[in-house]
Parts: sequence; C-alpha cells; structure tokens
Amino acid sequence: MTRWLAPLLLLASSAHAELIAITGADVWTNTADAPVRKATIVISGGRIVSIESAQPPPSSARVFEAAGRVVTPPLDAAATQIGLVEVASASDSDDRAVHGGPLGAAFDVSLGVDANDLTVQQARAAGVARALVFPGPAGNGIFAGLAARLNLAERADIVERARVALFVTAGGAAAPVAGGSRAAIWGQLRNALTEARSVGASPSTFKPRDQILNHVDIAALLPVLQKRLPLAVVAQREADIRQALAVGKDFGISVVIVGGAEAWRAAGLLASRHVPVILDPLDELPVSYDSLGARRDNAKILAEAGVTIGFTVSGQGIYLSYNLGPALREGAGIAVANGLPYAQALRAITQNAAHIWGDPVAAGTLVPGGVADLVVWDGDPLEPASAPVALFLKGSEISLRTRQTLLRDRYRPGSEERQSAPASR
Amino acid sequence: MNFAQRAVLVAISAVASLDGAHAAAPSAVAVPRHAALEAPNSRYRPLPRADTLLTGATILDGVGGRIERGDVLMREGRIVAVGQALSHEGVVVVDVSGRWVTPGIIDIHTHYGTYLLPQSAAEANLSDVLEESDPNVADTWIEHAVRPVDPAFSRALAGGVTTLQILPGSGALFGGRTVIVKPVPAVTIDQMRFPGAHQGLKMACGSNPASSFGSRGRFPNSRQGEVAGVRAAFLDAQRYIKEWDDYRAGRRAEAPRRDLKLDTLAAALRGELGIHLHCYRADDISNWISTLEEFGVHLAAVHHAAEAYKIAPLLAQKQVCTAVWPDWWGFKREAEDGIPENGAFVDAAGGCVVMHSDIPVLGSLLNIEAAKAAAAGRRAGLAIPEEHAIRWITSNAAKALGLESQIGHLASGMNADVVVWSGDPFSIYSKADLVFIDGAVAYDRHSSQRPSDLELGRTQKEPPR
Repeated sequence: MTRWLAPLLLLASSAHAELIAITGADVWTNTADAPVRKATIVISGGRIVSIESAQPPPSSARVFEAAGRVVTPPLDAAATQIGLVEVASASDSDDRAVHGGPLGAAFDVSLGVDANDLTVQQARAAGVARALVFPGPAGNGIFAGLAARLNLAERADIVERARVALFVTAGGAAAPVAGGSRAAIWGQLRNALTEARSVGASPSTFKPRDQILNHVDIAALLPVLQKRLPLAVVAQREADIRQALAVGKDFGISVVIVGGAEAWRAAGLLASRHVPVILDPLDELPVSYDSLGARRDNAKILAEAGVTIGFTVSGQGIYLSYNLGPALREGAGIAVANGLPYAQALRAITQNAAHIWGDPVAAGTLVPGGVADLVVWDGDPLEPASAPVALFLKGSEISLRTRQTLLRDRYRPGSEERQSAPASR
Repeated sequence: MNFAQRAVLVAISAVASLDGAHAAAPSAVAVPRHAALEAPNSRYRPLPRADTLLTGATILDGVGGRIERGDVLMREGRIVAVGQALSHEGVVVVDVSGRWVTPGIIDIHTHYGTYLLPQSAAEANLSDVLEESDPNVADTWIEHAVRPVDPAFSRALAGGVTTLQILPGSGALFGGRTVIVKPVPAVTIDQMRFPGAHQGLKMACGSNPASSFGSRGRFPNSRQGEVAGVRAAFLDAQRYIKEWDDYRAGRRAEAPRRDLKLDTLAAALRGELGIHLHCYRADDISNWISTLEEFGVHLAAVHHAAEAYKIAPLLAQKQVCTAVWPDWWGFKREAEDGIPENGAFVDAAGGCVVMHSDIPVLGSLLNIEAAKAAAAGRRAGLAIPEEHAIRWITSNAAKALGLESQIGHLASGMNADVVVWSGDPFSIYSKADLVFIDGAVAYDRHSSQRPSDLELGRTQKEPPR
C-alpha cells in the first residue's frame, strides 16, 4: 500500500496548496460512459487540475500510486437514515421518525442529525461523501417530514442543506395512520395541498377552524406548492405510484418516487412526467402485497425509458443505514447484472442524488476545475467485495479509520488481545 | 421505507402470537423410545433426471480443492467422479467451459415458509416464526407451520441453494425443532424434507428471549435468568430420562407421564438433535457453551455470532460452527461490535465458519456474502483463496447440519447437488445457470421459471397492457 500522507500532514492546512498526482488508475468521471484508462489525476488547491490518460505526473507533485485501482466520484446516497439512528432497538438513540406530537409535514429531521453517529463514521470510511437522510415512517400521520442533505466531511455540522424534500409515506403499511385505507392517504394529501394553497394565496382569510392542518405544517407545504421542494412519495405499488403522479400533475408540484418496486410498470409515464425513482435493486421478492411486481430489472427498464434513477438499498432495514456504502455498490452491481449499463449504475450511486434532490452545485463528476472529491477503490467498485483504498475530499485524504477497524486491529489473529482470549473454560 | 419499522423482524423482534398452542398430539404412538417423536418419513422424490457430465469448468470442490478445466460426472443422483477429461458413455454432456462449478449452497438459517412472503399486517398478530407463549416451546416443530409456496424457496434455489434449514425464531430459550429441506416445488413439507436428516433444536440467548418475556412481565427478563432457565429445563430432562430408564428397567411400576417438551430436551441431551443457538455476544456465547457443557450438550452452531472473532480460539477448540453475516452491525446492542473480518478471523483460528441468510433477500446472495467476508479477511492479511471461501457456504454448512457425508463436497459418492455458475461465483455479475439437486436440474436460468402458487395469476409481474 502506498500511503504517502503522514497523519500530521492531514492536519496541516498546507495540504490544500500541495500538488498531488494520483497515477495509474482507471477513472470514471461520470462525464463519459467509459473510464479514462491509466489516468493521472492532478490535484491542486483542493481542485482537479487535469485527468489525462498515461501522463507523467508533474515533477513537483506528491504521487499517489494507484495502478490497477479504480477511481470514481464518492458515493452519494439518494435515501438513507444515517446520522439519525445509532442503535435501532434503543428508542433514545433513534430519531428517524415521530410517532406522536404536533409535527407532521413540519417535522425537520435535520435537527436530529448527529455527526458523531457511528453510521456516519462508517459511511464516510466506505466512500460516502453525501447523503439524503429522510424521516419516517411517522406514527402520527401521512407526512414523515422534511429530509436533509448531508455532506460527510469531518466536521460537527454535516447538514449541508435542511428541508430538501417533503416525505409522505403511501401504501398499505402507512394506511393505519390515515385511518385505515390507502385511499385516505391520497385524500388527506390532496386536502393538505389544497388547504396550504388557499392559505398561501390569501393568508388574511386563514380560518383555523376550517383547517385540518396546523400552521407549521402549512408552512412546510408551501415550498412544495411553489416547486421549491419536491414531494417524495414512499410507494411500492403501481397504483400508488400512479396516484402520486396524478397529485403531481393536479397540483403542479415536483414528485420523487422512493421505493418504487413496481415503478417499472409505469416507466413511460414516469419518464414523460420527469419523475425520478429511487429504488432498491435488490428488490425481487414480494415482501409485501404492495410489491408483488418486484423485479430485478426494475432499474434497467426505468433507465431505458429515460427515468432518472437513484438507489436505496434496504436489506430489510439493516443495509439502509448500517452498511450504506457497500450496500449501494452491491445494489448497483445487481442492477448491472440485470441489464443496467455500468456507467448508469455508477451514476445512480455517485451522481444522480444531487440531481434528484436539486443540489445547487452539482457534484458527482470528476472534471478539471471541479472539487477534488474522489474515492480510490481496490477493485471494481460495483463488486461489493471491493473497498476504498483512499477517500479524498477537497483534495485532502480522509482517514478511513473507524471503530470497526480499531476492533479489527485489536482482535486481529496474533494480536495480544486475541492471545489473552479464553481458550477454554 | 415500509421496512424501516419492522426492520430485522426476523433477527431481532418478537412477533406476538396470540393463537392458542397447537396441541401436538402424540396420539397412539407407543413410547418405548421415551424421547423423540420420530419425524415423518420424507416424501421427497428427486425431480426427473438424466446421468450428466459437466465438462471444462473451474471446479471448487467445497473442501478446499480447485480443478481447472475439470469435469463432474453424475449418475443416479450421486457424484461418480470429479477430475479432468472424464469419460462419458451414455450420459448427457453439458459443456460448461469458462464457467464455474461448486457444490450446492447450503443455508443453515432461514425462516422460509413461516416468515411467509408477502408479509402483511396480519402477521403482526399471528406469526408462525415462533410460538411465543412460553420461553420453553421445545415441544413445537417448525415444520408444522411451513408453507412451501413461499417464493423465498424458489429464489434461494435460483441463487444456488440446494439445502436449507428452517428454524423457529429467537424469542424463546427453547424455540422448538428445526427442519432441513430441499427447495423443490412442493405442496407439503414432507415433499421437501431432506431424507434422513435429523431435526435440530433452536435455542436463543441474550436480549431476544429476555425482552420478549420481560416486556410481558414474565420469566426470563435477564441474561442470568435465561441461563438459570436453561439449567432448570435440562435438569428436568435428566430426571425425565432417569424415570423412563427406571421404568424400562423395571425399577418403576408406572410409566412416567409423557411430556413433549422433555421429549425434545431429552433428545438434545442424548445428542440426537443438532443444537443451533442464536447468540451475538462473545460473553454470552462463552457462558452458554459452558452451561450446555454442564449437561454434556454440544452446540452444532452458534448463529448471528457478531462477536465470534473475540473468542475465535474457543469456538475452534470446541468445534462449534460459527454462522455469521459478513457485515451486519449496530442495528441492536448485541451487534455493536460486529466487524466484516469476523468470519475470516474465526476461520484463521481453525473454526468452522458458515455464512447464513436469516432474511429472505440474502437467501439468494450467499455467494456474495461469502465474497464480502473473504475479501475483508484478505485485506486484513489472511490468505483466503476462492476454493477455501466456498467452504463457508458448502462443506462447513453441511457439517453444521450433520450432513457432511452427503452434501457440501464434490466427490464420488456424494449427493449430486451441483451449481454451474456463469462465472466466478464470488462476483456480483455471476449467476447460477444450472442448479442440480440429486442429479436433477432443479433450476435452469435459461428456461422459463415456474411461478409459485402464490405468484400464479397475479398480473403485477406481467408486462403492463
């Protein structure tokens, strides 16, 4: 392993001024459907200077030898819950959702994000630089609340943008909070948008007794009606997906489908309405009556129809936040194994989330002049068995040390701890 | 996600069963053997088959061997020969050059047919994963709940699985008897039952039984209570065995009262049931191994053992197989210290490492689970070639089930459970092309697939009109 950055250098701000050259790797830039082979990436001042095939590195550059490696933009999770939960079975370390209280649409999950959460540490060391974290599912109504965009740089405030999308949970599992029928979800959603629109149009005529919504939820809905926030609808069943599209059309709002196990059945309509789908490529089994139509080529069919896709990999809830990085890559690999072109699968886990969630500065490409955020992988990143060798954010190498690597080193075969482990009792 | 709230249902939660206990009637069975009711005979019949020679593959034999451009000859459901340039008279020859061949994958931890797909709100009130009315439900047999139309069976088969164990859940100290089956189309459990395979006994340590019963104000509500409960139950079973021994030796006039729970525990004491323990923490695992040793009970395998790497020498010395996921951690306190190198570290100590699925989505990805676990070990400096890593989902799993003389190993005389992979089985891009069970093609990726009864006639999978 060629690690030339001593730990002390990581602390030095002069790292930004350094000229760095990463040499020999195949580089996926997300600007082409093939990698730049045996490339030299030159980085200066935290930005990429050049990416050229088989170029000798500048003589003044520190060289990071990466022959045989693969370089990509960092992973960008389109929908996860890292930073909101540490031990899922302990309610006092789980801030993903509200199950009571007055907040519905106005529940802002960004206020509960913890940068020190091990799920964040683990995701970062797995090559995840950005993520959308979403609330829900709520126990007190159809609105899960407002999602946030995270930037996993090593700092206390990792919320890059709060109130990025409003999440609503549709489908059979959510029906109880709407009164017992999925139809009531759509009725309540339409009513909420109607009420918010009328209040927004003429606040002076606001008559609280005529409203189901409270004022904070109305305030949360107004940006959706103004198309400044997308409405993210968690739905699996074709019928619910079509209902979400109808809501989007009738109210003139932007919709994102999250889940979308049966989205392939509405691929043409989703494409024509420019509605992205964030799906789980591992879906195949009919895990619920809402997802009887789940298929492994969902991503391929949607992409062929022109739908923008992102991935969220549940692993029955475990992969979603605990194994975020490897799970995203495993999902992308499965999608490729089921017909999705490689470059599109890579974009689905490195680039599309920024587009879907409307980041003002599009990340997820490696281009001269762009920010030097990238991952060096020890093999094909879509093989889940591969792993990061290095993560660069703004041109600085980020430590890949985690609590897990420390446990590994403590109990490594031959280590002292291991020797003192009980051999028998 | 819909899943988030019921995340890891199988692994960690306890689904209350309000249904009354099924009276498993021993009926008219006379009981000279005072312990185990015999499992019914298997009504499994091999699928139609022809003697077959696979040629030209990269073969991983399941016990550490690797043959390039190798052949596998199957006759009448058995493997006859494995080697290079085998002769082929009167057999179907399938050229699999460039492809890989392994033994059928064995999954020792599933809840298929009881964690029935699709899951619905109905299962919140009635789950067949576990009878939860008592911490000791050793009298229950999971096979009495298994619905063979669960689509998870056919998906596992498509992922190369040829043998799997179905266990009760983990919310009881003694969860009941397991069953070992083959994922073939079936209407009743008997048609899937692995002929001659012994039942196992599911046990569970740690937070699941204690929280399941503690939350209802019942025993046990702590780890120490659990160990006490296990001791008390096995003491009862020892007494029960003695009563029957005395009766049969004429030292006692009246036959002891038949007790179905003690039947199972007595069978466990006599080593007739493989003991499968759900247990995450190193301290718990060590305590339970000791507790069971007090009664001469040997563990076949400890499942979900997130901290096995901390006691790898112990597990190797005790010859307890260790079933793990490569990368689960954190979702519950018992899994806080899970690391990806877990399996590889136990393996390096000489332990019997197994990858298991537990949840249906992983049941068709065990090759990838093994790939991840092996890669983590290699990055930690261990030499783990493919021909070794395959053991974790073949011969080691067979050993955990006590079936190592029949499956998990490509060699003459073994059952012809064989997978032909489109490429390196540890690559995400590879797929099982052909899956043989007892020499018959049970799955062919290039043929149309038979939908399960559940999927039949549902339009969701068809192209939209």
